[in-house]
Amino acid sequence: MINPIKAAVALSIFFSLQINAQFNVFEPTTSVGGYGELHYNYIKPEGKESLKSLDFHRFVMFYSHAWNEQWSFKAEVELEHNFVSEGEGELELEQAYVDYRHSKEFGFQAGVILPSVGMLNEIHEPPTFLSVERPDYNKNIIPTTWFGNGLSFYGSIEGFEYKMTVMEGLNASEFNAKSGIRDGRQKGFKANAEDLLYNARINYLSIPGLLFGASFTYNNATKDSTNNAVSIAELHARYRANNIYIDAEFGNISYSEGIVENSRGFYFDLGYNVGALLKWETEIIPFIRYSDYNTAAVTKIGGDSEKQYHVSQWMIGAAVKPIDEVIFKVDYSENEIELNKQMTSYFNFGVGYMF
Amino acid sequence: MKNYLTILILLIISNEIFPNEIQNTCEQIIKDYFGKNAVYSYVEFNISDNLRIEIEKKSGQKFFKNKVIVWYISGKDSVESIAILDNVYGKSLPITFLVFFDLNGNILKSEIVKYRESYGGGVVNESWLKQFNNRNCSSSFEVGSEIYAVSGATISSNSVTRGVQKLSFLAKEIIRKNEFKTASFR
Repeated sequence: MINPIKAAVALSIFFSLQINAQFNVFEPTTSVGGYGELHYNYIKPEGKESLKSLDFHRFVMFYSHAWNEQWSFKAEVELEHNFVSEGEGELELEQAYVDYRHSKEFGFQAGVILPSVGMLNEIHEPPTFLSVERPDYNKNIIPTTWFGNGLSFYGSIEGFEYKMTVMEGLNASEFNAKSGIRDGRQKGFKANAEDLLYNARINYLSIPGLLFGASFTYNNATKDSTNNAVSIAELHARYRANNIYIDAEFGNISYSEGIVENSRGFYFDLGYNVGALLKWETEIIPFIRYSDYNTAAVTKIGGDSEKQYHVSQWMIGAAVKPIDEVIFKVDYSENEIELNKQMTSYFNFGVGYMF
Repeated sequence: MKNYLTILILLIISNEIFPNEIQNTCEQIIKDYFGKNAVYSYVEFNISDNLRIEIEKKSGQKFFKNKVIVWYISGKDSVESIAILDNVYGKSLPITFLVFFDLNGNILKSEIVKYRESYGGGVVNESWLKQFNNRNCSSSFEVGSEIYAVSGATISSNSVTRGVQKLSFLAKEIIRKNEFKTASFR
């Protein structure tokens, strides 16, 4: 004779498992992704010989494993310029962190992470921006890709996304007037944790197609004798709707020590998908860019020292996206240095992908 | 006997305290949209191989599984809407979403039931999801021209858009087969 209690337990377990199997889709998952970009660069400084190069600039592999819905691990390894040998090329562990997502309002990451400074530092896959190379602003003012060891808290509340990061600081001994803070990144290599960097960013995403945000970063950057405290304030906006492409970013860096007191710059992109006018699925996006940046915008000595790294740039170009994950790009630009009116022309062609 | 009784009581309590999150969220979304007295029922819909291959070809995206959950939402005396629950992959994790259709196959509403990625959460915004309203399997779902991508969430935007389009093809087939006429409601 069947025991009714045993039968009830068995049925209860059976139906409970059935319902969970129907609705709970999550299984431990390992996935790979990546992006890369090949560039042809033609550089012609006024009155000088031209330079031509063909370079597979970046090859990046993304790897992740999710143990459950809350806990996962994510990593990105990047090889720059095809190989690494005798100081040429770079092999970098750009991201490697444990991620805990408690809810949409709160999560954290710990490991090798990206500070949220500007749009491109976190989102830099080639199909997400229009020019062949990343904007010069994102090399000279905001040094992408900027990564290091640390911890981030993130979440989303009522259309706002926030992220707060504490990570390794900058090495102020490597700051210089030509490249600002770029050479001061420790890149997670046995990083000095004497003076940590604090970064906070907020983005607003509730207007269709618009991302608008700002970030603030502070680090009392370590130096051999006196530290050099840097503050980075930055505003960014991106619009992608109605076939219109707009990117804009402005950043200012203040230094407490040294000859340079401020680095600052901005860029503005405007493009339009003319493929839509022709009812084509392929996106064809002609665009223009104006950029102005100066790694020594304000110095203690003033005069020419504030003009020698001041660059104004005009660019025209086009990006073609046969599918959203693949992009072909071409652009022409002229950069002028304020001090000597030295003009340099650039012609670039590139192909990029992400998956 | 005592042990079995204890297990049974624990199972009943645990199901009350820890109800299925996805199912409860879906049913709350249904109540929010159709009212708290909405009458609904769900079934597991198995997608035949032929239908699956045909829809995957049209939408350019594979189904997460070869079955989905379909809710039938009843009006006064007949089904007035269906809702399909499915999943697509974001950058690395599944995104669970629910799409409501009227009986002509037009999208009434789309909602992200669970987003698991740390980036690209903009796809959960109502303003983004509203773009799918009134579209059907004959509509264009082209990201960039017809559907704008969420800035900073290109992969998730594309993935969810293809997923919604995929369900619009499936909804047409479910409605055509009139399977909901046999559904029992609660």
